Amino acid sequence: MPLQAERMAEMLFAATQELFTSMLGTEVRLVAAPEEEPHDPFDGILSLIGFTGKVIGNGEIICTAGTACDLSSRFLMAEFQHVDEQVLDAVGEITNMIVGGFKNRLEAHVGRLQMSIPTVVHGKNISARNLKADVAVTLLCAYADGEIQLKLGLAASRD
Amino acid sequence: MKEPPNLLIVDDSTAIRKILIRVLNQTNLALGEVLEAGDGKEALNILEGRHISLVLSDINMPNMDGIELLRTLRASPQWHDLPVVLITTEGGQARVQEAVELGATSYVRKPFSADQLRDKLAALLSK
Repeated sequence: MPLQAERMAEMLFAATQELFTSMLGTEVRLVAAPEEEPHDPFDGILSLIGFTGKVIGNGEIICTAGTACDLSSRFLMAEFQHVDEQVLDAVGEITNMIVGGFKNRLEAHVGRLQMSIPTVVHGKNISARNLKADVAVTLLCAYADGEIQLKLGLAASRD
Repeated sequence: MKEPPNLLIVDDSTAIRKILIRVLNQTNLALGEVLEAGDGKEALNILEGRHISLVLSDINMPNMDGIELLRTLRASPQWHDLPVVLITTEGGQARVQEAVELGATSYVRKPFSADQLRDKLAALLSK
């Protein structure tokens, strides 16, 4: 199956909806996706997971620290006001489930894929670039109390 | 008087272990202790020393994964009948099928809702 950005975006959003509805107790909707990938440094959370198999690349979640705390509060059913290890773990697990849900959908078309463990970065003035992706997808999703940005950078395996 | 059942949660994610414990705490079931292990090997060490009534285990874990843990339990006369519920993010049916064939009591797919998990555990523990 050719890697089509529109199809990848649909699968990523479906996986996001599934997680928000079942484990975060809220609906999520797409906000107009940015036409050009912004490269401005940001403050907050970057959580990413790599893929390998016939398709290689990675999936990312970007959000503010406040949104990370809110998502973690919903996910862990406890109140979080500041980013700590529990919040980073929760955001990593949320990323794992969303990107894992996308991977499961993609596997139906390209065969077995494997994922790395999540890496979660919390900081200021963060810049991130996806190199050598054949397909880049950026989705901006909003829910009751915040927004998250989801990104995919995918390429056919070079092997 | 019957002792309340002890449960063992096996997952390398501390976040998932916390969620599972909170879900269990919200049930009306009379539970004993809820113990935690980060992988299959840790789980076996705990099982050696404690009476556990149900194991709730992730499939993908380092050191010893959930499938290998299940295989070990089913090969042991001591734990052959111990209820084991596997939690999986696997989309493909193959690994779930493997777990069922090995004797998994039930399985839950991530992401799961708290209600879904509560109902499943309540049904198993009330047997």
